[in-house]
Amino acid sequence: MNSLATQLCPCGSGLRTVRCCGLNTAALPPAESTRHLVPLVERALQAHKQGANDTAERLCLDVLEMAPDRPGALSVLYQIRRAEGKMQAAEALLRRLVNFDPNNFPATNELALILMGKGNLGEAEVHARNAVRIAPQNPQAHNLMGMIMTEGQRPRVGEYHYRQVLALSGQRDPILLANLAWNLKNQGRMAEARALYQESVDAAPEIKQTLLGWARLEEADREFAAAAEKLDKMDKLWPNDAAVMMSRAVLLGREKKNDEALAVLDAVAKQNPDGRLGPNELLEKGRLLDQMGRYDEAFADFAEGKRLARELSGHVYLDQQAQELTNRLRNFFVAGRLKTLPRAGVRTDVPQPIFVLGFPRSGTTLVEQTLTAHPRIAAGDELPLINDITHLMPRMLASPLGYPEAMAELWMGDQRAGLDNLRDWYLQKVEQMGILTEGAVWFTDKMPLNETHLGLIALLFPESPLIHVIRHPLDIMVSAMSNHFTHGFFCSNALETAATHYMRVMDLVQHYRSEMALRYMPIRYEEMVDDQEGTVRAILDFVGEAFDPRCLAFHENRRYARTASYAQVTEKLYDRSRFRHRHYLEHLKPAIERLGYSVD
Amino acid sequence: MEPIPPPTADNGNLVPVPLGELFPLAADCERAGKLQQANSLLGHILATMPNQPDSLHLAGIVAFRLGEHERALGLMEKAIEVGVDTPLYLRNICEVYRTLGRLDDALRTATRAVELSPSDPLCLHNLAIIHYERLEIDESIACAEKALLMNDQLPGAHFELAEALLLQGKWDRGWEEYEWRFQIASAAPMMPKTTKPQWQGEAFDDETLLLVADQGFGDVIQFSRYIPWVAERCPKLAVACAAEVAPILKQIHPGLNLFQKWDEVPPYRAYAALSGLPRLHGTRVDNVPAPVPYLHASPEKVAVWRERLDRLTPRGFRRVGIVWAGRPTHNNDRRRSATLAAYAPLFSLPRTMLVSLQKGPSADQAGRYFGRAPFVNFGAEIETYDDTMAIIDCLDVVVTVDTSVGHLAAAMGRPAWIMLATAPDWRWLLERSDTPWYPTVRLFRQTVARQWGDVTQRVADGLREWFDPATSPRQIETAS
Repeated sequence: MNSLATQLCPCGSGLRTVRCCGLNTAALPPAESTRHLVPLVERALQAHKQGANDTAERLCLDVLEMAPDRPGALSVLYQIRRAEGKMQAAEALLRRLVNFDPNNFPATNELALILMGKGNLGEAEVHARNAVRIAPQNPQAHNLMGMIMTEGQRPRVGEYHYRQVLALSGQRDPILLANLAWNLKNQGRMAEARALYQESVDAAPEIKQTLLGWARLEEADREFAAAAEKLDKMDKLWPNDAAVMMSRAVLLGREKKNDEALAVLDAVAKQNPDGRLGPNELLEKGRLLDQMGRYDEAFADFAEGKRLARELSGHVYLDQQAQELTNRLRNFFVAGRLKTLPRAGVRTDVPQPIFVLGFPRSGTTLVEQTLTAHPRIAAGDELPLINDITHLMPRMLASPLGYPEAMAELWMGDQRAGLDNLRDWYLQKVEQMGILTEGAVWFTDKMPLNETHLGLIALLFPESPLIHVIRHPLDIMVSAMSNHFTHGFFCSNALETAATHYMRVMDLVQHYRSEMALRYMPIRYEEMVDDQEGTVRAILDFVGEAFDPRCLAFHENRRYARTASYAQVTEKLYDRSRFRHRHYLEHLKPAIERLGYSVD
Repeated sequence: MEPIPPPTADNGNLVPVPLGELFPLAADCERAGKLQQANSLLGHILATMPNQPDSLHLAGIVAFRLGEHERALGLMEKAIEVGVDTPLYLRNICEVYRTLGRLDDALRTATRAVELSPSDPLCLHNLAIIHYERLEIDESIACAEKALLMNDQLPGAHFELAEALLLQGKWDRGWEEYEWRFQIASAAPMMPKTTKPQWQGEAFDDETLLLVADQGFGDVIQFSRYIPWVAERCPKLAVACAAEVAPILKQIHPGLNLFQKWDEVPPYRAYAALSGLPRLHGTRVDNVPAPVPYLHASPEKVAVWRERLDRLTPRGFRRVGIVWAGRPTHNNDRRRSATLAAYAPLFSLPRTMLVSLQKGPSADQAGRYFGRAPFVNFGAEIETYDDTMAIIDCLDVVVTVDTSVGHLAAAMGRPAWIMLATAPDWRWLLERSDTPWYPTVRLFRQTVARQWGDVTQRVADGLREWFDPATSPRQIETAS
């Protein structure tokens, strides 16, 4: 007997690999032939209900050894493993359960929640949509969609589903109200959000997540006193709570009370068993130290925060994938081939996108906030749609190839309009997201690193302005170290990989620009800071819109920027983040080398 | 002393060669163009005798021919130091200095070479070239003439004299000297060997006259204006040309027979180079035939490109076409070509879009443009001169170094602003900012050798003035 046949599955389910993650579903016996096992499954269910977990486990393992697709046994074993905290095994069992029993609503719901908890929003969305398909009248199905869409930066879609929950349940559940409030806050609808938090707290005054969310709303809306009041209340209810203290530190930081903020974080560290901070707290602390000019300490905290984040999330830069994609794009988008490809036509009946491109932390939020203060430009924020199109493309073009090679289908007689279809898909999604405001003829899409797909964008929207925000790469590196972002194949989890990815993308942009005629405009963040009006005028000229003085007072633009830059863009254009890297030259050495600089 | 690994001769066997016999071997290799081998042989000699002047000098020449100019200079300077003013070394190093743009050093060494070896016409020839590049044209002519007194069969000196005379506008004499260009040993032959005579301007209508579209594409565009004049004398014409310029020549004279392969050329009675036609025509500065516009963009192509350009141009923006480098194989490319970065003063022109027409290896600089003015790179999309002409038709002006695109815009009667090196090609004459060849050309001359910054600044200032919003775009367009 070979070892594979006897080996227990590494996921920890207790099943053999061949009956678990190495299962060959094609070789399964028909369900009919294992019907005699049903009584065993029922006994397992019974035992589990009565708390006899050992018995239940034994029975499930026996059943699944013979019939690995029995839903009841999968369900019970999943619950046992989950209770034991064996999350890998639990997830594997749950996925199998959903696979073999696709109409199982509780399992689908559970799987969507687990995936959302892991931050895997793409897959979570697939299962949430299934939940709605299984039970369109079930409030919880819509609640899932509400949560996932809100987290996935499609708050308008999320709002629709939350409101469905309210309608279907006929109740105003305080937690749901708080979730909806968070959604509205992300849309910048602060007053509506505030009213819902009030209603939620009136109904259930002591729910920590609700109060924390409310405090974050007030902080983001620069109502610092109101935020402090919420935190004071929470201090009394949950003294020394780490989440509350973290919110307090953020608030104090925004009030420029850096010493006090630091003291709060130190207190958080002290009460942790190992006396240390988590990744988010470390970055917050680093940012405070940076503000205070204590650069070496700040960088040490950034580095440690990144290290911890890597350790806890398991996310490291997907070097191979990034390299493969950039190579494929570089090989595909060449002048000779571009001559043979059609371009999508330009729609004149709906507002058109302005793409604000740039590496994360380059100042894309600043440029977007400035532009969208203009009455004819609506704010789209970070739209995931271009990335979605890269995944959809093979299906929409009926191609056996992936992106970008799938565009070979555009040579077929029946796919000549393929790009127009993809363009319409994008524009339709934009309309559904509800970002288009009255009077707008443009909207922004500021998804960072969309410049990776500059070629595709130019084929889909050949007349759309491409505003590429560039900034001193070392400043970007400092900023990447002091903030978390997941864009760019998790490159920001370490300094070196952030630099590597930056170079990859910039080289790719240079390639596109050599091979294609683009409506492209580079904007230097530093120039924006030096000469705001000149830069804004230049961009508007380029877009073809008249100058509007409101763009200069963008920090009064009450629209809340959802991204990590929200605190900065609500301050007047500030000089401090320009050439900030000078304080960190020593620490940046690995990045400097990778970026082709030398330390002078 | 460490034993040197035995070098071997070039005959494949591994018999060690005595050190003393290596130098002639190396010299043979250099003459035969086996540069790497010469380099390695000289390396062996210099490892043992690091101060052997002939080897240092020859190693310098080899390095220079390998394109390692700085290393060449180091070796040759050392050769002069240890070889104490050997005229040959000085005569050769001056050319390295010139290539590197160190014109003072070039002049100093070339002058010294002439002092030491007053009867060597090659020293004078080199000095003539250096004077030309320093824009000391009278001196250049004097040196070339002196060299020719010593040996009147030196094609290089004749050619140098021709360029200097032509640059001064003394075209009658210049054209005659210019004929020597075909004799220069290093010049690629214009056509396969033939027993047929060169045309001398005589008329005949029973046999074919072969015209050869020689030299660069800019020359072809410029001198193709003479084809109708030739056709009046010899109506049966065949033109041998590169495929790239065929669309241009087709426009010049209807029904012209064009050939891209020598074996397809029909029998002919005599031949002439396009670049020799000004001589036969008797062109002087005051009688240049300039039937501009003599090239036109195709309306269909213009419609396509105009639509694309209109889509990419922000409303109300001017369009300035730019080209910053010529064909790198041109022997003066180092002097005449700039970089995109040198165009920086144009990057901040208000309400102006730059349109790159740059082709070739320098085109990728477009990807590194981060200026304020919008910039559209058509380089990768342009396939033929027909495309280039159609785009030029949609531009307000073309700004270029001395390239074929400048000739193209000029022959179309479009505004072309051409930036010239301190010592320009003869056709642009001296000092003037216009040219008898093309009425819509404006010349911008370099004041300091190889420095473009102030030239592009003057171009930018000129454009700013020209684009003054008080003047409407229609009014400022020059004749077309």
